[in-house]
Amino acid sequence: MRSVLSFLIALLLLFAFCSCNGNYTDVDLQKPVALPEDGVVEKELLDKIKQENAIATFTGASNGLSYEWKVFGSDLEETRDVSFLVTLEKTEGGIKVSFAHGEAFGFPALLSIRLDEKWTALAATAYRDGEAISSVSITGSDASILNLSVKDQIGSCIILPDAEKESNGVGANRPSSDGSATGQDQYQTDPVPEGKPLPVEPENQEINQGKSYTCTFSIECSTILNNLADLDPDKLGLIPRDGVILAPTAVTFYEGESVFDVLQRVCKEKGIHLEFSWTPIYNSAYIEGIHNLYEFDCGALSGWMYRVNGWYPNYGCSRYQLVDGEVVEWRYTCDLGEDVGREGSW
Amino acid sequence: MAIHLRPRRGRRARRIMVSAMRDCFANYHPVVNLLYFALVIAFSMLLTHPVAQILALVCAVTYAVSIEGRKSVGFLLKFCLPMVLLTAFINPAFNHEGTTILFYFGSGNPLTLESILYGFSAGAMLVTVILWFSAFSRVMTSDKFIYLFGKVIPALSLVLSMSLRFVPKFKKQMETVVEAQKCIGRDISTGSLWQRFKTGVVILSIMITWALENAIETADSMKSRGYGVKGRTAFSIYRMDDRDKYALVWLGFCGLFLTAGVMLSAFGFRYFPSIRYAALDMTTIPFYAVYFGLCVTPVLLNALEERKWKTIYSKM
Repeated sequence: MRSVLSFLIALLLLFAFCSCNGNYTDVDLQKPVALPEDGVVEKELLDKIKQENAIATFTGASNGLSYEWKVFGSDLEETRDVSFLVTLEKTEGGIKVSFAHGEAFGFPALLSIRLDEKWTALAATAYRDGEAISSVSITGSDASILNLSVKDQIGSCIILPDAEKESNGVGANRPSSDGSATGQDQYQTDPVPEGKPLPVEPENQEINQGKSYTCTFSIECSTILNNLADLDPDKLGLIPRDGVILAPTAVTFYEGESVFDVLQRVCKEKGIHLEFSWTPIYNSAYIEGIHNLYEFDCGALSGWMYRVNGWYPNYGCSRYQLVDGEVVEWRYTCDLGEDVGREGSW
Repeated sequence: MAIHLRPRRGRRARRIMVSAMRDCFANYHPVVNLLYFALVIAFSMLLTHPVAQILALVCAVTYAVSIEGRKSVGFLLKFCLPMVLLTAFINPAFNHEGTTILFYFGSGNPLTLESILYGFSAGAMLVTVILWFSAFSRVMTSDKFIYLFGKVIPALSLVLSMSLRFVPKFKKQMETVVEAQKCIGRDISTGSLWQRFKTGVVILSIMITWALENAIETADSMKSRGYGVKGRTAFSIYRMDDRDKYALVWLGFCGLFLTAGVMLSAFGFRYFPSIRYAALDMTTIPFYAVYFGLCVTPVLLNALEERKWKTIYSKM
């Protein structure tokens, strides 16, 4: 009788272990591979990545800075030996990136450069001969990580942080904080920093369809590409190559609309999945997931945050009233915003 | 044997047999019964592949109908079917994950195909497990339970067996008490509302007293008989026959084979964010066949027994 019991228990334990091992997912995540000295990845390895439909990571270092390549198996068509060697040089205010490969990859690969300092700019841009060739997203908690999508580039380029744009988001009919408030408001919002817009309550907002304005909207999750190991394996197939779900787009909105109203409309128009839940204690909608990427999908500190004109508001997106010309970025974070440029602490 | 089993009133006996087959599987050794239910319940909860779920559901329904007949058909239509539909409707109302957006709710959240399918799957799983558990409580009577666990975990198995018995026993005693109270003029079906309430409270008080006393009496009685004392044997009418050994081997084989199938993700099925599944091909079909074989075991045994019985019967 005891042996039967222990057999049963062993069987049940076995079931519990087995249930975590299913590998019928569409994309496979491979362990990071250190690049050899000449940086050449052989055709056989690329063929394997293509065959397994895997996401591969190649790591290297140059002048004390480390870098990482992400290659998506589904992007590989014709394969050959490819050199992923990169030389990084610090120049004034920027980074010079020199590629060793002679001809274009022919497939998009994501280059992530780990800096030894923190860039405070909202984003960066890659230039060749003074001409902007590609935008670069900045992530990373302690030191910045620059994420650059490389497809046709050869030779070298210089990455410079974008200059801070003048905040033009102070509208005449929207009150700003004078920094004098202390203590939380009735929806548990800490005092808003001086000069930043105060929250408005959605139930008091009147939307005036007669007056339309334009703002810039973007949705991106490039920090997930720096933390793929933490990502729910089922979600690997959803991640865009460069982390961009919606590239900066000019969007029309009406007077009195909040960030949430516009987000909802943009997602519907572009067919992007969005799930939210109304949270009465913050009097705002909470964005649970966009593009099927949900809170907690990439670690316990992950979720969606929004930034308007370079500032992460400390209140919900239903309480942020937009004014003409504002730049709204929805960014996925894996570290409570530290990795996507949120300043200050909670 | 056959002579004893020969029914005196043949026609009536046959009629009973048609409406509800005798459960031959329940006459197997308790270890076989327990192992069977442990396996089917565990796999029903583990496997989310629709093909596996349908196989299990069909077997569970067939088993219930073949044993309980008309009674279980009512239960299936009135309780199980609405339950599946309810979960299929409720799940998409709260779960908006999935890449296939069908349309948007008034609140603004999307309705996705994946969440509907997941709702159906969850409902089917719920119903299957409920059906297996109802079969479990029918087959694993308290004497079998005590027989299996009385020595290993005497106190717990007695408590379990007593509590499992409690509801039907309570109901039966309640009927007796209600009838007896009726005789002395305390009828809960007549009188003013207040009077009925008062009678009801008296009956409830009687029942609670009875239940407490009964529990203590049972415990005392078991203790006085030396229940759980070391070296004491228990009366049992169960014998490990060859057929039980064969059944054990078959169930053990199914358990190991299906575990391997789960490890090889032959039953793999993912609902979110988009549907991905292990294809049905020559490498995975054997696992589904064995799963069907496992689930259908009692129905098959009953059918074989029935056939054997009929053969003997017609020869008489």
